[in-house]
Amino acid sequence: MTSADPTRGTYFITEDDLRALTGELLGAGTEVIAPVALDVCASPSAIASSACLRPGVKPIDIEYRALESAAQLNLGSGLPVLSLKQYFLPEYEALCCWRQHGTEIEIEAVPTEFAPRVVLAAKPCDSAALAVVDKVMNWDYADELWNGRREATTIVNLACPVVDESCFCTAVGTAPDDAKGADALLTPVEGGFLMEATTDKGRALVEAHAARFTAEEGAGGAGARGRQAAEERAAARARAAANLEIDAASVRDWIDTHFEDPLLAALGVRCNGCGACSSVCPTCHCFDIVDEEEGIGKGTRRRCWDTCQAPTFTLHASGHNPRDSQNPRYRQRINHKFAIYPLKFGEVLCTGCGRCTRVCHAGQDLVEILQAIDIAARRREAVSP
Amino acid sequence: MNIYQPQLALVTAVTEETPDTRTLRLELKDEALRNAFAFHAGQFGEYSVFGAGESTFCIASPPTRKGFIECSFKAVGKVTSALREVNVGDTVGFRGPYGNWFPVDDWKGKDVVFIAGGIGLAPVRCVIWNVLDRRDEFGDVTIVYGARSVVDLVYKRELQEWASRSDVRIVTTVDPGGQTDDWKGEVGYVTPVVEATAPQAQNAVAVLCGPPIVVKLTLPVLERLGFADDAIFTTLENRMKCGLGKCGRCNIGPVYVCKDGPVFTAAQLKELPAEY
Ligand SMILES: Cc1cc2nc3c(=O)[nH]c(=O)nc-3n(C[C@H](O)[C@H](O)[C@H](O)COP(=O)(O)OP(=O)(O)OC[C@H]3O[C@@H](n4cnc5c(N)ncnc54)[C@H](O)[C@@H]3O)c2cc1C
Ligand code: SF4
Ligand code: SF4
Ligand code: FES
Repeated sequence: MTSADPTRGTYFITEDDLRALTGELLGAGTEVIAPVALDVCASPSAIASSACLRPGVKPIDIEYRALESAAQLNLGSGLPVLSLKQYFLPEYEALCCWRQHGTEIEIEAVPTEFAPRVVLAAKPCDSAALAVVDKVMNWDYADELWNGRREATTIVNLACPVVDESCFCTAVGTAPDDAKGADALLTPVEGGFLMEATTDKGRALVEAHAARFTAEEGAGGAGARGRQAAEERAAARARAAANLEIDAASVRDWIDTHFEDPLLAALGVRCNGCGACSSVCPTCHCFDIVDEEEGIGKGTRRRCWDTCQAPTFTLHASGHNPRDSQNPRYRQRINHKFAIYPLKFGEVLCTGCGRCTRVCHAGQDLVEILQAIDIAARRREAVSP
Repeated sequence: MNIYQPQLALVTAVTEETPDTRTLRLELKDEALRNAFAFHAGQFGEYSVFGAGESTFCIASPPTRKGFIECSFKAVGKVTSALREVNVGDTVGFRGPYGNWFPVDDWKGKDVVFIAGGIGLAPVRCVIWNVLDRRDEFGDVTIVYGARSVVDLVYKRELQEWASRSDVRIVTTVDPGGQTDDWKGEVGYVTPVVEATAPQAQNAVAVLCGPPIVVKLTLPVLERLGFADDAIFTTLENRMKCGLGKCGRCNIGPVYVCKDGPVFTAAQLKELPAEY
């Protein structure tokens, strides 16, 4: 076959070549982040869990990890437990360091430029979330730590077959085959993957590994692989749409105008404010800023993930708390994601990954909640002249 | 340098205002930054003690005084307790100025009524001095200030200075039970004292800052006195972390208080969910 023509957007690559490309990147010292299957029972804290005691069963978690070898690259359809957020807004991130000499203090800046790195087989809902969060990170003040990591990273998505009934990406303006926030998209086809490069960074990746790719008709194009890719992508979209269909614009407007509505005001009854939903969410970006001393007279100021679901989030020093119970806190989660952020930044602060629903031990189900709000919004439209 | 990295500032003066409130005067150590530093009345900053963390206070000195800034704070928690221990010659961190401001220039020719409760006098003091430093641009100036007790009054020396000026009308009050034998001011909560003081509302603006309860109770009184909702200015003190519109902490309804505020008119306040 002919080698890739870097001026064209669509290529074919076999799985072997994709792993070889991964090996080339690693060999050149480039960090490669990708889904990896982890043995749950290998973690000391999991030893007692009953799943690990059952013979013949080997429970695994999928997580995005920096690869040590190309063999680790997991190209299955499983959803990583944590989103890609951790690689752009780390759970703990240094903002500056200080050193005290007598009454003098010296501040050491942290770098805002990062070595180039590549993310492979990212979930489309995870890359899309980065593009959504880009907005808040850049209105007026630019967050160079976020932007530095964004610029240094080339993201290659892997089209998703839709994981389960908690997925609803198509209801919030993205899709299981979206390249939003990413630089290229892989779609599984017979014998390998179609690779569409959608940005300069994506094209540069193809160019740098041109021997691994062959030029190909685009998805939906005349070729057999293109037809296969288009069919499977359409089927995945239909599966996501079957989970939830809402009118995001009327949901936005209804929430915006119904702050006191009993439906919104009582949403948090089951929630106990653990914040797990915020941790796993690719779009939740709230953070706290704390100082951590590291020996005498030196330390690091860090930001760390926070959650609007915690009672202390809004607690004033006086003891006054503007959101003094879980109901208003949960309403804030919904309001911020589906009304405030869309009105301010033009994007829904949710990509429908479903993680918050899956992780919630209290049974808060975002599909159910959005359905209820959508019905309320449609009902209003039906009665208004 | 990233947006979260503070500037270093030298503490050049400390005033103990009350048993739990003090004022620090700070000078940015970097001379170029110090000379270029400019802000508007009502803006705030993030002040830090390295090892304890950052805290949000308004800039309590007026923009008309250059070369330094002042902040006044009440010791209520981790950072404010650490700030209570700093002395002249110590170094602290500062980020700012952040947020919007009082549209003082739009008030030219108008009467200005200042109402503050407790530490709420800190942001108001900045505007008072800003107006007094440009005194002939404005009409009558009235100040109503209340604290829990006589010892809790902040800026005592300045209260006297304002009282001694013929171009300022000032009423100070303490909560019932908070007076001393030689207390010459009013006794009563701020709200009824504002009502009794009855500043006229024609061609006037009111600046109102204090604990949420004082703001809440005083707004209807100002309305009864005839102040229009867009002639009443207040500040919100939602908990903040970044001050830059990133961390999400201060968001209520459509506003990020740190960027769209902290200064709001009563008209804007009415449009917001009551989450302040
Ligand atoms: C725009 C703006 C301007 C302001 N201006 C002024 C001013 O001029 N002067 C002034 O005095 N104040 C001002 N404030 C209020 C001031 O920011 C707070 O009082 C101050 O930040 C408290 O800081 P701290 O670190 O001492 O308190 P913290 O230690 O952060 O905590 C204060 C209280 O919060 C609670 N709390 C915090 N974290 C936790 C936790 N993890 N678990 C349980 N409880 C917790 C506790 O009740 C604690 O006592 C302003 C606020 C804003 C937003
Ligand atoms: S919704 Fe569920 S996961 Fe989120 S804070 Fe509440 S209990 Fe925790
Ligand atoms: S809110 Fe839930 S479904 Fe939406 S992006 Fe966050 S975790 Fe995923
Ligand atoms: S304080 Fe961080 S967003 Fe306002």
